[in-house]
Amino acid sequence: MSLQELLLLRHEWALIASVLILLVLELNFSEEKKSNSISSASILFAIVTLLGFLPAETGSTFGGMYVTDPLRILMKNILNISVLVVFLQSGAWLRTKNNYNRITEFYLLMISSVIGVNFMISAGHFLMFYLGLELLTIPIAAAASYDQYKSKSAEAGIKLILTSAFSSAILLFGLSLLYGSTGSMYFSEMEFSTNSLQILGFVFFFSGLGFKISIVPFHLWTADVYEGSPTNVTSYLSVVSKGAAVFVLVLLLVNLFDPLRQVWQQVIYGTAIFTMTIGNLFAIRQQNLKRYLAFSSIAQAGFILLGVIGGSALGMASVIYFVLVYVFSNLAAFGVVIAIEQSAGKINMKDYNGLYKTNPRLSLAMMLALFSLAGIPPLAGFFGKFFLFTAVAESGYFVLLLIAVLNAVISLYYYLLVVKAMFINKSEFPVPYFQSDYPTRIALSGCVIGILIIGFYSPVFEYIKQLCLASL
Amino acid sequence: MGTSAIIFYTIATIMIVFSLLAVTSRKILRAAVYLLFALGGTAAVYFMVNYFFLAAVQLIVYAGGIVVLIIFSILLTSHIEEKMQKPDSWKIILTSILGLGGTTLCLYVITNHLFASQPSTGVEATMTTIGEKLLGYREGGYVLPFEVISILLLAAMIGAIVVAKRNKPEGNG
Repeated sequence: MSLQELLLLRHEWALIASVLILLVLELNFSEEKKSNSISSASILFAIVTLLGFLPAETGSTFGGMYVTDPLRILMKNILNISVLVVFLQSGAWLRTKNNYNRITEFYLLMISSVIGVNFMISAGHFLMFYLGLELLTIPIAAAASYDQYKSKSAEAGIKLILTSAFSSAILLFGLSLLYGSTGSMYFSEMEFSTNSLQILGFVFFFSGLGFKISIVPFHLWTADVYEGSPTNVTSYLSVVSKGAAVFVLVLLLVNLFDPLRQVWQQVIYGTAIFTMTIGNLFAIRQQNLKRYLAFSSIAQAGFILLGVIGGSALGMASVIYFVLVYVFSNLAAFGVVIAIEQSAGKINMKDYNGLYKTNPRLSLAMMLALFSLAGIPPLAGFFGKFFLFTAVAESGYFVLLLIAVLNAVISLYYYLLVVKAMFINKSEFPVPYFQSDYPTRIALSGCVIGILIIGFYSPVFEYIKQLCLASL
Repeated sequence: MGTSAIIFYTIATIMIVFSLLAVTSRKILRAAVYLLFALGGTAAVYFMVNYFFLAAVQLIVYAGGIVVLIIFSILLTSHIEEKMQKPDSWKIILTSILGLGGTTLCLYVITNHLFASQPSTGVEATMTTIGEKLLGYREGGYVLPFEVISILLLAAMIGAIVVAKRNKPEGNG
């Protein structure tokens, strides 16, 4: 095993090194200065993110257990950026009194989870895939129960760990059926023919992954866990955890499960319709913004499935592009929710009444984020949905396309509800004016710039499409 | 029916019965003990097919380690006398229909599948081969998952500390 082969795992090495460095650094901070780890973790992670963009060798190592190519590196970089944004937004929350003795642990848990994400995306063997998935989930379950003095937070932690254990069991059963019929766990060696055992195995596998993406009917945990977890963890769950699972789903469906295309197209056809519709209908009724964003993210997952169904390079590229846009839009929306929760302690929709009068910049950021999620031109979200719909039309699913467009219209209604609350509704006691800390502002402006730029800068999509074509 | 078939079906019956008891028992400590027998049965199956290493691991890790851990945590956190609430009868009926339906479907598919017989590789599962596989980095080697598990365990430990850690009294707002 040469050094060059080991360097293929650069993303993972960088993350593991940052965990170790943080552990050692924490020991050297005195009791009063534990909050130093907020800045050091953010800086470390920024370095890790930058390292990811350096040109890298591609190939596979460890006998095919670990695979890396430009597309996977792009996925990791997208997710790294979103984790960095989450970190930048977390400072204010970690400095609160209840968290003073567990600041570093938050970063350690998050980075461990990102290591899982990276290994999962690069897996070339189902064991690595499964381990990555577990490493992604288990630390987050601990992070979900971070707010020790809130019973809802404990509830979120226990619900997350139980549902993830349950979904892992289903997934593993599916994998064991697939192993039984193909005789291997290496992606390169598994040969699929549409026999009923493999179809059953695939359905179990899809259900297990469906829990992570919170596809209907596997979405029941989502709203409760999103509501109970600290908002920073919620934004991680809705962006990074979901994004990683989507990426892996796309990679595996198009490459590994290609012979089962007939099967998974039907499965996705049904679940996509249910996911979009149920997510949207429930989102309309929500007053708590965290629950609201939870159902909105379920609906978005339905849209993401649309791109997967074609199984073409265009579909793949549109999914990755959509996730990239979704990352920025959702993180901006959560950033505003976090900032307001930290300063005023309010997370209900009616608390946002009259926000524009007191906090115009935050309201603008929230408006752009929601418009982007709804897909209003000229924001990036519009192009994301546009490419997705193009991919669906290209594969000839016109009924599905019609339902998707109807759902996009419904979603516009509830996204506008919040905008209306901020800009039109009057309130006697609006959230008073406040300024959030620098990192939060940097993160929010970064997200807003992303929402504005990605749509107009067409090379982004072209680049992703090129990588997808190369990977097929 | 040969002796091994009789032994297999006996073990299988024991496993199924105890698994059912483990999930239906309303006293949590009993459920844990039933689980112990189900796991022991799995080890017995491994012994039957000559996977001695796997059988030993199953006994040491699952029966010896995990069940003891479960019992400890039950004793530390809850009252043993406490009985679980009886679920509504419609829930019982619905879940048993679903469970039976799922089991039937899986059994039907699995028993009707023609498994291609794999030629024996002639490799004995001795400790040496297992060790070489576990630390091998070429095809068929498992050193990468082995190391990833160590990261997973580190993360799980940090997570457990976070969940259990209390603020000092003065910070306890």
